[in-house]
Amino acid sequence: MSRLRQDFTTLTWVMIPVAIAINIALGQVIYTLKIPLYLDSIGTILVGVLAGPWAGALTGLLSNLIWGMTGLNVAYAPFAAVGAVIGLLAGLFSEAGWVRAWWKAIVAGLITGLIAAVISAPISAYVFGGVTGAGTDVVTAFFRSIGFGILPSSFAQGVSSDPLDKAISFLVVWLIVQALPMRFLARFPRAESVQK
Amino acid sequence: MPRSSGVHRLHPLTKLTITASLLVAGLVLPGAWGTYALFGLVLLPLALWGKVWQEMLRLSWRVALPFAISVFLIQGFLWPGGTPLFFLGPFSLKSEGLQFALASTGRILIVVSSFIWFALTTRPDTLMTALVQRGLPASLAYTIVATIQIVPRFQARAATIIDAQRSRGLETEGNMLRRAHAVVPLVVPLILSSLVDVEERALAIEARAFNHPGLKTSLAEIAEARWEPALRWAVLMAILGVLAFRLWFEFRF
Repeated sequence: MSRLRQDFTTLTWVMIPVAIAINIALGQVIYTLKIPLYLDSIGTILVGVLAGPWAGALTGLLSNLIWGMTGLNVAYAPFAAVGAVIGLLAGLFSEAGWVRAWWKAIVAGLITGLIAAVISAPISAYVFGGVTGAGTDVVTAFFRSIGFGILPSSFAQGVSSDPLDKAISFLVVWLIVQALPMRFLARFPRAESVQK
Repeated sequence: MPRSSGVHRLHPLTKLTITASLLVAGLVLPGAWGTYALFGLVLLPLALWGKVWQEMLRLSWRVALPFAISVFLIQGFLWPGGTPLFFLGPFSLKSEGLQFALASTGRILIVVSSFIWFALTTRPDTLMTALVQRGLPASLAYTIVATIQIVPRFQARAATIIDAQRSRGLETEGNMLRRAHAVVPLVVPLILSSLVDVEERALAIEARAFNHPGLKTSLAEIAEARWEPALRWAVLMAILGVLAFRLWFEFRF
């Protein structure tokens, strides 16, 4: 409990809106580049790494809810739980020291992506009939056409994109942490988990 | 979206209750047609009352259409087994798939348009003030309001960075590999530049008693009609009724 209070400093509270805005703005930049990635949880992962799993989870949760509530990207709101888990995992991996080395960060991203795909598949299957309305639906269509169920096909779609997306996101967060000045980094509650 | 309508004058908590109930109802109503009835008989009149029905229909259409197309193509035509309705080359529309696609599209429609209805009729800052008055931690409310305020600024900053890097010769078009190369030069400056003002913001709000434990008063008064608490209870009761109906529907056999 006291650790929780230590994690939520003023800096953390200020960091969360910035992180959500990073998620949203980056999601749009990547969308305009038209590459098959989302990179819309970098802010969430960054908060998880610098301010602990609970702050990360809150960032992910609020990120999707605000996307929905403000009408920016309504279809994201039902996936709020997935956002929360991504932030939580980022915090736990960082606590375990996995964001100190770039290759460990990539592995952490792959695992996070796999878990994200597991949680989002039932939401996508139930709320959205298993489709995303985007290019990755080709994967769903393929698995449906060879006789897979709705849930497994939706999961296959997630696995085809999420692990790579989260691995790159974790790598970008590792890059950012390397680039931040030590004086700034040290003000965050979980700075010790990323410092060498 | 500022309008003077009965819906806009409702207490934000009332609108939150209605939206949450619509979401629950949209997700638990059984069968394919319940959600369409809910849309036509509840959500559309609510949007008419709020004078936002044109915007709501336009935005919902834009968001829900890609999902609807995908779900009809994939689940309608690629449903394994099933009773074919008609053939289209090597594919055939299956009646089970069509049923499923109709049910999913209804659910998507309700989820998408109830969020949009809420967004169109409720100011985030009054919602937060109302929630803080009901005991939501002020720091959490700050976080949400601050997010909504800075998002447009960040979008503008992202556009500036894209332009700046392009003018330095960064290729953001071309084949996939070339576009993928543009990710780091766009992403890293955006994040680093936005982290710069985090520290300053923290100091600024600390200087404005952010951590002060005492009671904070609000300049904004939120009006509430006398019948609104009763309406909220009625909506909650209605949603319990919908849940009970779903349970009955599942287990009646």
